[in-house]
Amino acid sequence: MKNFRDIEQLSAYLDGQLSPSESARLESRISSDPELASAFNDIRAARGILRKLPARKAPRNFTLTRQMVGLKPPLPRSYSFFRFSTAFATVLLTLTFAANTVMPRISFNAAASVAQEAYNLGSGGGGPEVASEALAAATEAPAATEAPAMDMAAIPTAEALPTFSADTTALELPTAKEPLPESAPQDQARVKSEAVIPVIWQIILLALGLVSGLMMFLLRRSAAQKWK
Amino acid sequence: MDEPALIQTAQRGDLDSFNTLILHYQDMVFHTALRILGDEDQAADAAQEAFISAFRSISTFRGGSFKAWLMRTVTNACYDELRRQKRRPTTPLEPDTEDGEEMDSPRWLADPNMTPAQQSEADELEHAIQHCLDALPTEFRTVVVLADIQGMDYSEVATASHVPLGTIKSRLARARLRLRECLRGFEELLPSSFRLEEERTS
Repeated sequence: MKNFRDIEQLSAYLDGQLSPSESARLESRISSDPELASAFNDIRAARGILRKLPARKAPRNFTLTRQMVGLKPPLPRSYSFFRFSTAFATVLLTLTFAANTVMPRISFNAAASVAQEAYNLGSGGGGPEVASEALAAATEAPAATEAPAMDMAAIPTAEALPTFSADTTALELPTAKEPLPESAPQDQARVKSEAVIPVIWQIILLALGLVSGLMMFLLRRSAAQKWK
Repeated sequence: MDEPALIQTAQRGDLDSFNTLILHYQDMVFHTALRILGDEDQAADAAQEAFISAFRSISTFRGGSFKAWLMRTVTNACYDELRRQKRRPTTPLEPDTEDGEEMDSPRWLADPNMTPAQQSEADELEHAIQHCLDALPTEFRTVVVLADIQGMDYSEVATASHVPLGTIKSRLARARLRLRECLRGFEELLPSSFRLEEERTS
């Protein structure tokens, strides 16, 4: 067995990868060295056998279908516009619902905390009556000033009332209950009629979302039919 | 077949153009996968996977030999298949002793000669060659299949097998040497021209 460097040279020589001078040198060595000549024939035989191996035909066609490669029909440019408007309308609609539900509660909690602070301050000097006046002021003030924000502060009185009146009961503040029954029903009625975002906007957004969604569906279907 | 034009349209997503390329190359792709994997079903699966992968990544083809680029996806698919086989190894059939117990170290596993069953399977030269190819380490087998069975040049083999050009030379020499050693066991099956050369030099 020749050293591996010789084997490598013989293999490269068979593939025509040696320079003319290297090839000439190797040829002269092969002719004078029987062992190298034998190795050369071995390598050449292995190479020749492999090259004579009959090619096998594919057992079936490997052509691809659109499903195999996950191709989708090309959509018209207007599709992206309708996709955007659907998403836009959906997000805005969700926000309007969130605003109409959450905002009044936040405002009321703020007003209630102001009343609670007033009570805490007043408990040292004026006693429970001061606090109840502050609470009454907090709930009634909107009616006097007609400020929209304060209207919202009054909104959840009906919902928050049980908790609040429970607190006041625990604190033995009978006077705190007195102004509430008068103002709460009025405020509650106003809340229902005056949402933060008007209902008409919600209807418009809903219609926009539905129409855009329908257009997306129709465009997609027509593109798929054209593609077929 | 206008290959560059077909490649260009396929790069723009035209599946029909790519299918024309598939029809042209599918025999070569299948044969390469068959020689690397040694099993027809696995080779067919690997060929299909290779074509799917090639279509998805055809935008990355930047010119040069399309055949070499395609063969790169084929060798990748074959390596994936071999890795899957390693993860799910099959239980070897080991002979039982007279007492019905499995032999810890069966004699035929240590014996370089094939079993009678293997011998009969290797009656044909093709089976003998595949047997010898299967005995090669995967990286040697890939190089020799691409160079000697597909007739690719060194730079194409380097592209297709992810191996530097300099390494191709030595791997090819080792693979050919090992194959020749292995094929000595099948001398009677070899074409007469190869035997005559052997005799002439001896």
